[in-house]
Amino acid sequence: MLQSVSCGSRKFRIWSALKMVSPAIALAFLPLLLTLIIRYRYYFVLLYRAVLIRWVRDCLTGLSREERAFQYILTHATPGDAQSILDTFDHWCSKVEFISNIGPKKGKILDRLLQEHCPITVLELGTHCGYSTVRIARSLPIGARIYSVEMDERNAQVAEKIIRLAGFDEDMVELIVRPSDEVIPRLREDFGVERLDLVFMDHWKRCYLPDLQLLEGSGLLGEGSIILADNVIFPGAPNFLRHARRSGLYEVRVHRAMLEYIRGIRDGMAELTFLGIK
Amino acid sequence: MPRHKLIASESDVSIEVDEGKDNEFSLYYVEVEENSKGGKEKQATRDGKRRRARNGEVSRRRASEKRTTNMANKRAEKKHEKHHKTTRKEGERHRKRQRRRIADEEEAEEESSKEKKNIKNERTKTLKLEDEKEKDVKKKRKKHVKNQEDDANPGKTKQKDCQDVPLKEKKKKRKKPETTSESESQSESQSESNSDSEAKDNQAVGVLGSLTPEELEKLKEAVDERKKLITTIKGKPWPMKKKLVILRESQEFVEKYEGALGKGKGRKLYAYKVLMMKKWMKFERDLENFKTACIPWEMKIKEIESHFGSSVASYFIFLRWMYGINMILFGLTFGLVMVPEALMGKPYGSMPRKTVPREEEASAMNFAVLWDFGGYAKYSVLFYGYYNNQRAIGWLKFRMPLSYFLVGVGTVAYSYMVVIRTMARNANEEGGGDDTSFNFSWKTFTSWDYLIGNPETADNKFASITTSFKEAIVEEQESRKDDNIHLTRFLRVLANFLVLCCLAGSGYLIYFVVRRSQKFALEGLENYGWWERNEVNMVMSLLGMFCPMLFDVISTLENYHPRIALQWQLGRIFALFLGNLYTFIIALMDAIQLKRAEEEIVKKNMTIWQANLYNGTVPDNSTAPPITVHPADVPRGPCWETMVGQEFVRLIISDTMTTYITLLIGDFIRAVLVRFLNNCWCWDLEYGFPSYSEFDVSGNVLGLIFNQGMIWMGAFYAPCLPALNLLRLHVSMYLQCWAVMCCNVPQERVFKASGSNNFYMAMLLVILFLSTLPAIYTIVSFPPSFDCGPFSGKNRMFDVIQETLETDFPAWFGKVFSYASNPGLVLPFLLLLVLAIYYLQSTSKTYKRVNMELKKKLQTQNEENKKKNKLAALKAANELEQARKAGEQRSNSASDLGVNEESSSLDEAGHHRQAGQNGRLIHPSQSQHAQSSEPPVSSTHTTTRPPASRSHTASGHLPGHPQQPQKNSHSNRR
Repeated sequence: MLQSVSCGSRKFRIWSALKMVSPAIALAFLPLLLTLIIRYRYYFVLLYRAVLIRWVRDCLTGLSREERAFQYILTHATPGDAQSILDTFDHWCSKVEFISNIGPKKGKILDRLLQEHCPITVLELGTHCGYSTVRIARSLPIGARIYSVEMDERNAQVAEKIIRLAGFDEDMVELIVRPSDEVIPRLREDFGVERLDLVFMDHWKRCYLPDLQLLEGSGLLGEGSIILADNVIFPGAPNFLRHARRSGLYEVRVHRAMLEYIRGIRDGMAELTFLGIK
Repeated sequence: MPRHKLIASESDVSIEVDEGKDNEFSLYYVEVEENSKGGKEKQATRDGKRRRARNGEVSRRRASEKRTTNMANKRAEKKHEKHHKTTRKEGERHRKRQRRRIADEEEAEEESSKEKKNIKNERTKTLKLEDEKEKDVKKKRKKHVKNQEDDANPGKTKQKDCQDVPLKEKKKKRKKPETTSESESQSESQSESNSDSEAKDNQAVGVLGSLTPEELEKLKEAVDERKKLITTIKGKPWPMKKKLVILRESQEFVEKYEGALGKGKGRKLYAYKVLMMKKWMKFERDLENFKTACIPWEMKIKEIESHFGSSVASYFIFLRWMYGINMILFGLTFGLVMVPEALMGKPYGSMPRKTVPREEEASAMNFAVLWDFGGYAKYSVLFYGYYNNQRAIGWLKFRMPLSYFLVGVGTVAYSYMVVIRTMARNANEEGGGDDTSFNFSWKTFTSWDYLIGNPETADNKFASITTSFKEAIVEEQESRKDDNIHLTRFLRVLANFLVLCCLAGSGYLIYFVVRRSQKFALEGLENYGWWERNEVNMVMSLLGMFCPMLFDVISTLENYHPRIALQWQLGRIFALFLGNLYTFIIALMDAIQLKRAEEEIVKKNMTIWQANLYNGTVPDNSTAPPITVHPADVPRGPCWETMVGQEFVRLIISDTMTTYITLLIGDFIRAVLVRFLNNCWCWDLEYGFPSYSEFDVSGNVLGLIFNQGMIWMGAFYAPCLPALNLLRLHVSMYLQCWAVMCCNVPQERVFKASGSNNFYMAMLLVILFLSTLPAIYTIVSFPPSFDCGPFSGKNRMFDVIQETLETDFPAWFGKVFSYASNPGLVLPFLLLLVLAIYYLQSTSKTYKRVNMELKKKLQTQNEENKKKNKLAALKAANELEQARKAGEQRSNSASDLGVNEESSSLDEAGHHRQAGQNGRLIHPSQSQHAQSSEPPVSSTHTTTRPPASRSHTASGHLPGHPQQPQKNSHSNRR
């Protein structure tokens, strides 16, 4: 009883405080609110699509987002046709739900890089659903090999299914289900990797820098090895970029692009060419 | 062998020769010292002879100089040195022997001349000492050098020559074709004459004269040459390093030898003059620097300009200009109104209007009250109500009410004058027409500021030039772009509609707030809190802050060029502020009406109160001394003028506070957060969501303009407003400079604001007009309060003029004035004025048109010239082609070498054609000459090809006849 009274009095106090600030003053903040909403509308859209819809669907279906994506692909794409799988993925991500893949536009940059350099050994950090793995694998020369690292068990299962669906076998794509910071130092012993021609980073943005330093320390990078890091501007990896620019070990290029499947948010991919240790 | 190589080798040789001679003369030294043991006394007697001998030599040399040019002379000497080195040495040894044979005199000749030089130098040195002690060290060094030179007397000129060589090389190269052959031919005779003269030195007996004028002349020449070089070094097509090195060398040289020039008595004067000249130049330079430093905030603004482009800088320049205006307004109000009243007027507490009323006394010193400009602040010189209506105050008989009125009018008149004058000047600068035809060339060749000496400033300038290039490129791109016109039109209409909605909304909100505040005021403000009392100001400030943001967001729809977008933005914010201001003024007018109604009541009560006072205390005796009532107890009217002044002061204060708080929160705190949270945040704060803020030019400019408008409106009722504004501007200058440099990033789309300055001015003029309107309305239509202010007791405020005319001027003046103000005179005068304005305007229009036409004419002429040049170049190329064909036909029988030559000349012709197409006319005959004069040289040395001659002397031949000039050049050379 007493508690409810005190609660009521507090409510009253808050209400009086609110009343003290006149509605006119509150209304004067309306333009600010409108400005913020209009200026950052794309971010609100992203928030809605990437968080709210996901949460609702998760509750409704009981499946994870990745599994839903796989189901959709299974029903809509042609098995064994990498292009078809990628297209279906893009469609699902842009029309149905949002998954942060590399996307078609930035994927073109990746394709071009692959064509230019023809890497033999590729390390992919962050398989997620296998979109980028499929994308890399389809443009690799014969005899090349991808080591794809994924931390999450469920995602890795989905990714493996999708990769197999696209028609790539274990000789070509080696899926490693472990955290990246454990995998990188053991690449040489466990998998017999001598040199990495291309490293594609698309996992946690926080891990970009430590993983890059691990790679430097492992000695797997040779002169001319390329490290491609996605999403360096949004969500962004400022420390990674700073290190890459300042260490003098790399030639850094940032490809400006838009965030995948969403309009109006700028993003970029960093292309680091290892210059060799002097 | 190419000519310059020859020269280089010559100079090398000459240096070698000099060294050899130095050795020889060191030999002499020894001998002379041996001699001087015994012959110290003799030397004095010998002086005359030696001098005579030297003079003889000099005269002969002069004669030879007259025959040839100086350059030829030097080269000839060098040639002579080269060819006859050994023979000359022998000759000199022979001379030595001769001298020894004659007596000690001859042998000591060199030594004595050295001695003489010493004496001379010492004399100059002492003179110098009188002038300047600094130069002493240099002088000594100079003397040392001189001595050496004197020792190596015959070699001295050569030494100088080799110093001069790098300088003269260029000239030599240029003059080569004409001079070389001559010089070679002359060199023989010259060298012979030289050697002759030196051989004859011994026997020469001349007249008494001055000391070695030849050396002096040469020195002077060299110094002059260096000076010329120093002045023209900017224009030389050399790399910067070379320029610097040569500049330094020649400056040193001039420094060293300048003082020694001039003769005898004149020398001191000359040295003094040079010294003074240098000092003067240095002083001028320092003065210039000082002047720049004196322009307030110039360096800050330049720095900002270099980082943020001219549009942001234009805001700060505008701010500075505004500061200047306010300085004068402040000077007027402070010097003619506030200070006289404070010094000479009645002191505080002497009258009711100068005293805090009894009921307010308790809280009069509270900070909250003072902050609201109540209490003691209200009853001080800061506000209208404090001033007394006494006609003349103090021992100066200062006419206070008149001064108050005239200052009020004068500030506004001055502001009008300044704004209009600045507008006119800016309009002149604009000039009309498009000057963009050579935009990039202008920028490339004229942007660097050569006065910059500070590396940091140079960096800044570099950055600023880069920025300006970016601006120009963006502009160029904007002008070329074309989009879907219907979509853009629709979007623009939509944007304007949205903005109108926003304006209407904000207007309604302010109206609502003002109505509410009137309700509060009627019920008595004391019952309400701070929020209610300051609601109007708060809402106005907030709307003024947030609505521009919204407009900015909306304006991205429109896709205008940044400068046009800025103007739209300015216009919209202008409308918003104007609406806010006028709503505020309307509310104030209502308040004035209320106060006046209250005043009527107080007036009535006053008479009752007075009657009560007298009746109650002195019932019967009317002659008793008046009862003294403490002024604080006297009832008084509400004094609406002070109320208006207070409102404006409060508005200014709240506006300033809002600005600063916005600056601190919106810019500084945000920047700090972005900077330091960036390391531990999940996305890139700097590039992504909050990022750093950009400097909002339009909002700031309009804030400034409206602030000024409020000052103009309120200054009549609150003389402290200009002072407050001055303070505000001063603080905001520093604060905003700091904030811009520390928390803002340059705009993504940099653009220049050359055209917007006049736009600002136009807005300022409009605001000035709009702000003087209400002030004039109140002055003209309302009678002043009966018990406060300088005009109390009068029917209208401007009656003070009439009063002054009647009482302070002679009667005839009043009469004249009344005649002059007769409508029969005033109307024709006004008519005349209008006619004059019309006439002047039409004339200026005509001038403008004529100017435009002239400009167009110039442009067309320019284009025609270009075309002509192109044609001429093409023609020349054709002719060359023909000539080449003809030459080929003829040289088919000739040797391979000739063919090679032709092909290379073809290359050159091609180059020339290209150059011609680029717009520069190269006369065909010249290029012809250039290629045709070469063969003799290039036939011997096919690898290196000296630069083509530019001389016009040998260009008389016709194009298409390559054979003839070849012959010419052959004959020239041999």
